[in-house]
Amino acid sequence: MSGRLGASNQVALVGYAHSVVQRHAAAPLGVVTLDTARRAIADAGLRTDQIDGFVTAPLFPTAGAHAVEDGVSTVSATWLADNLGVRPRYAAGFQGIGQMPGAVAMAVNAIAAGAADYVVLHRAMHNPPGRYHGNPMASAGGSLQWTAPQGYFGPLSMIALPYNEYIQRYGASREAMAAVLVEARKNGARLPWSYWHGRPLSAEEYLAEPMISDPICRYDCDIPVDGVATFVLTSARRAADLPHRPVYVSGYATSAPATRRLPLHWPLDDIMSVGQETTRRLWESAGVGPTEVDLPQLYDGFSPFVYFWLETLGLCPPGEAHRFVLDGGIDSDSPKGLPVLSGGGALGNGRMHGVPQMLECYLQLAGRAGDRQRTATIGVACQSSPHFGGAVVYSAEQF
Amino acid sequence: MSTPRPLPVPDEVSRPYWAAAARHTLVVARCSRCASFVLPPGQTCPHCHSVDPRFRFEPVSGTGTVRSWTVVRQAFLPGFGAEVPFVLVDVELTEQSELRMIGRLLDGPAAALRLGDRVTVAFEDVAPGVSIPAFTLGAPV
Repeated sequence: MSGRLGASNQVALVGYAHSVVQRHAAAPLGVVTLDTARRAIADAGLRTDQIDGFVTAPLFPTAGAHAVEDGVSTVSATWLADNLGVRPRYAAGFQGIGQMPGAVAMAVNAIAAGAADYVVLHRAMHNPPGRYHGNPMASAGGSLQWTAPQGYFGPLSMIALPYNEYIQRYGASREAMAAVLVEARKNGARLPWSYWHGRPLSAEEYLAEPMISDPICRYDCDIPVDGVATFVLTSARRAADLPHRPVYVSGYATSAPATRRLPLHWPLDDIMSVGQETTRRLWESAGVGPTEVDLPQLYDGFSPFVYFWLETLGLCPPGEAHRFVLDGGIDSDSPKGLPVLSGGGALGNGRMHGVPQMLECYLQLAGRAGDRQRTATIGVACQSSPHFGGAVVYSAEQF
Repeated sequence: MSTPRPLPVPDEVSRPYWAAAARHTLVVARCSRCASFVLPPGQTCPHCHSVDPRFRFEPVSGTGTVRSWTVVRQAFLPGFGAEVPFVLVDVELTEQSELRMIGRLLDGPAAALRLGDRVTVAFEDVAPGVSIPAFTLGAPV
C-alpha cells in the first residue's frame, strides 16, 4: 500500500486574504472574518455564490476560563457561511490537533471527493481581555486532577520541560535560541500585517529577558492576538481558469497518537519519536523528501518547536538544531541559510496558529511575495509539535 | 488567609489514589490484565489495550529519577502566587520504564539539579484530608 496521497497535487490554493494582526481588533472577530472571506473570494476571482464549501479549525487555544462564543472568540465554518448568506454543500470544522494541516486536509478531501468545488478555509484567532492562560479554577477534576493541584498547568511549563530536557541533553545555549528569535522577528518586522511590523528583536534584548518558566521567557512565546486569514481552494483543473498561479497541495500528515501521558506532558523522546513518524508519513503522502524542500516553514508558537521540527523533518541531525541555528543555518537572508522562518512565523507575526507558515508557502510558491519573493518550488507548512500537530507539503508545480 | 490551591476532585477511578495520598502513601494504578503501571489511568490500558483493565492502585517505592524540570516564576492558577518561584520536576518512577509523574520539588528554587538526580516522593498537606504528592532530592529517609 502506498502512502502517497491519492489527491496529491490535484487540489490547489487559488487566493487568500489576511487581516492585520493586532492585540485587540476594533471590530468583532466575526466581522473581521467576514471581511477577509469576502476579500479572499474576490482575490481568487470568484463570487460568493460560487463558494460551496467552508472549512476551519475553530479551536480557541487558551488554558484560561474564557468563554467560547461563535463569532466572538472563535468563528466556525457554519457561522461564516450563514453570515455570508451562503448555503454550502459542505461545512466542517477540524477538531483534532494540528489545526491548519487538519483543516487543509479536510478541504482537499472534500474537493477531491466532489463534496465541494470551491472551499473557503479560514482561521480566526482571538485575544480575550484579561490574562490569556490564567485560570481561576478552585478544584481540578478529570484529567487535570493529576497535574493542576501539583502546580503543573498551562503551556509554558508544558514546553519548558522538553526544552530543558533538550538543553540538558545536548548542551544547547540561550544564545542559540536568541538566533531563532532574531530571525523570526527580523522577518516579521518586514510584514505590513504583522503585530511586530517594524519591530525586530536583538539577541541582547532576548538574553536580557527574565524567565517565566525556565528556560522559557516571554519572547519564546508567540503573543496572543486578534487576526484572521482566509484561503480559497479548488481543484487543479478549475484553478487553471483563475487569475493567480495555483499552489498545489502535495501531501499532508497529522500526528500519530502519542504515548498516554499526564495532561500537557510532552517528554522530549515522545516529541522526537512520534514526530519522526509524522514526518515519515508526510514525505510518503507528498512523494518528496527533505532534500527537495526549499521552503520549510517551521512552527514556532513556542521557540523550541523550531529545533524539534528541524530535527524531525531531517533538516539537521537529532541534537544538532541548536548548533545549526547558531551557525546561521536558518538565516533567510544568507544563500546558505534555510528559510524556515522567512514568513516570520508565530513569533514574528503573533499567535496565528499555523497561518504564517501556510501563508508564506502560498505567497512564495504563487510568486506573490512582492519584494520578499524568493526562488522556491516546494514548501512545508508545519503546525504545533511534531508529535502533536501536523504539516502540509505545497508545490508550485504538479509532479 | 491566602487563596487556596485547586483541590483534586477524586472520581470513581482515582478515589484510592487520593485516599492513599492523604495517608502519605504513593500508589499507582496497575492494569489487572498485563500488570503494567499506568499514569494517568483512563478507560483502557495503554500497554495491553484492554478495555476492561480494572486498575488496582498499588503502593510504589516513591523513588525515581529527574528527567527534566522547570522553575515556575509566574502563577497561572490560584493559590500558587505566593509559592513562586517553585520547581516542578518530571520524574521517571523506579518501578517501570517511562512511568513519569510531575510534581513540585520541595527543596526550593536554589536546588542544583541534573538529569538523572534521584528523588523521593513527599506530600504537601493542602487541606484537611487532602495531600498532594511532590518530591524531594535524594533517597528515602
